[in-house]
Amino acid sequence: MSAATVQAPVVAEHAVVAAPARASAPRRAFLRTANPLVSLAGPFPLMVVVFFVADLRVLAAMGVATAILVVAGTLPGPRVSAAVLLGAPLTAGIVAVSFGFWVDAAAVASTPVLVQAGPWAYHAGQLEIGLLTGLRVVDLMLLALLGALATTGPDVVRASIQHLRIPYRLGYAALAAVRFVPRFGHELEVIRSAHRVRGVARGRGPVAATRRQAGYAVPLLAGGIRHAERVSYAMDARAFGAHSTRTERTTHPWRLRDTALVLSFWAACVAALVLAAGV
Amino acid sequence: MKSVTTRYLMTCAAIGAAAGVLLIPVNFLAFAFTATAPMLVAVIVGFWLVGPVTALALVRRPGAALLTSGVSGVISMASPAGPSAIVTTLMVGAALELGFLITFYKVWKPWLFYATATAFQLYYLYTAFTFYEMETTSTWTQVLFCTLMMVSAWAAVWAGLRLAARLADTGVARGLAPRRTVANADTARADV
Repeated sequence: MSAATVQAPVVAEHAVVAAPARASAPRRAFLRTANPLVSLAGPFPLMVVVFFVADLRVLAAMGVATAILVVAGTLPGPRVSAAVLLGAPLTAGIVAVSFGFWVDAAAVASTPVLVQAGPWAYHAGQLEIGLLTGLRVVDLMLLALLGALATTGPDVVRASIQHLRIPYRLGYAALAAVRFVPRFGHELEVIRSAHRVRGVARGRGPVAATRRQAGYAVPLLAGGIRHAERVSYAMDARAFGAHSTRTERTTHPWRLRDTALVLSFWAACVAALVLAAGV
Repeated sequence: MKSVTTRYLMTCAAIGAAAGVLLIPVNFLAFAFTATAPMLVAVIVGFWLVGPVTALALVRRPGAALLTSGVSGVISMASPAGPSAIVTTLMVGAALELGFLITFYKVWKPWLFYATATAFQLYYLYTAFTFYEMETTSTWTQVLFCTLMMVSAWAAVWAGLRLAARLADTGVARGLAPRRTVANADTARADV
């Protein structure tokens, strides 16, 4: 293997991974053009709040607001937008009904019966508790999706190096790992062919298939680690980590509007907690 | 930071990349299961443990679990979980490190892996109970949920240790992990 291919994961990472993601983001999508750390620092406290709010109206309001923010803030295109806006209430409904079945019927026996089938009854209380979980699930999914659509892994890593003072050697390990992934795909093909030629774990059916899949794990990981070792020597040879700081091709400045965005997310957290406690 | 070799960083990155690729479909599954059948979420929680357990058992250095899970989080951001995937994986990695931190990274026996994973699962069960309003469910549902979650974690630790032992056999961690003395030669190998 030549030195050029060994070094490729680190050098090419900017061009291959980062550029298309940024370029495809429309300039108008204000959450995509914001600092990548916003989509971590903003929604995450809200995700924690979702665990502690047990008020249906507050949870529903959070869900509606987040769904609007997902569509307006990341402009994901018509198909994803429709999936978010239609899927969210649908998911909440499905979870509400299905979770209701898990609820101990004896505890809500005093509430009116919705469906009666012989000795078995589905109470309104069951649906209410189910709806609480349903709204939590949907809120959590939407908040996660907000970050997923707004940013990418490499962008978060680079912004963390620039603003959270994460040592760049750690960050670059993660950036290099992103470039390992397509290699794994290629290596898997090679291992699969090698196993087939040697007749390893032949047979049909799910058991043989599982055994075959499990047999790929060790050579795949061993190959990956050996590749990582060669990359690390190439990086060392190029004095990677010799200086305490390094320059970046892509910078993620922290602007005033990033602060404003994070503060408005946090304000929403406080509002949700106050409303849930006060109602 | 200077004392950490690039080879160690890259080895953790490779294991983390593999674990992250595994976590992308698992994240999709988790989303689907959370919405339809929370019992099945308890079955798949183990997937988050395999990567860091493998790295820690193979590399036997402080921080391996945290670094590996951090990398797997970055990779698995390409799923609906988004940046929250990093928070989840970092939490798992930090929890696994804790058990080894309080033994000053001297003990690498399988029981410590199992004990740490069990302690983390107990904490996770507590948060899951709050989230799913589990107190309102029937007793057998709660018992089933707890059992599935524990079995999932133990199966993941078993798989991770086995994977690490077999990887150690291939020689990829030679010169990376502290030299395994004759007295405790490949405890992972002998005890799994």
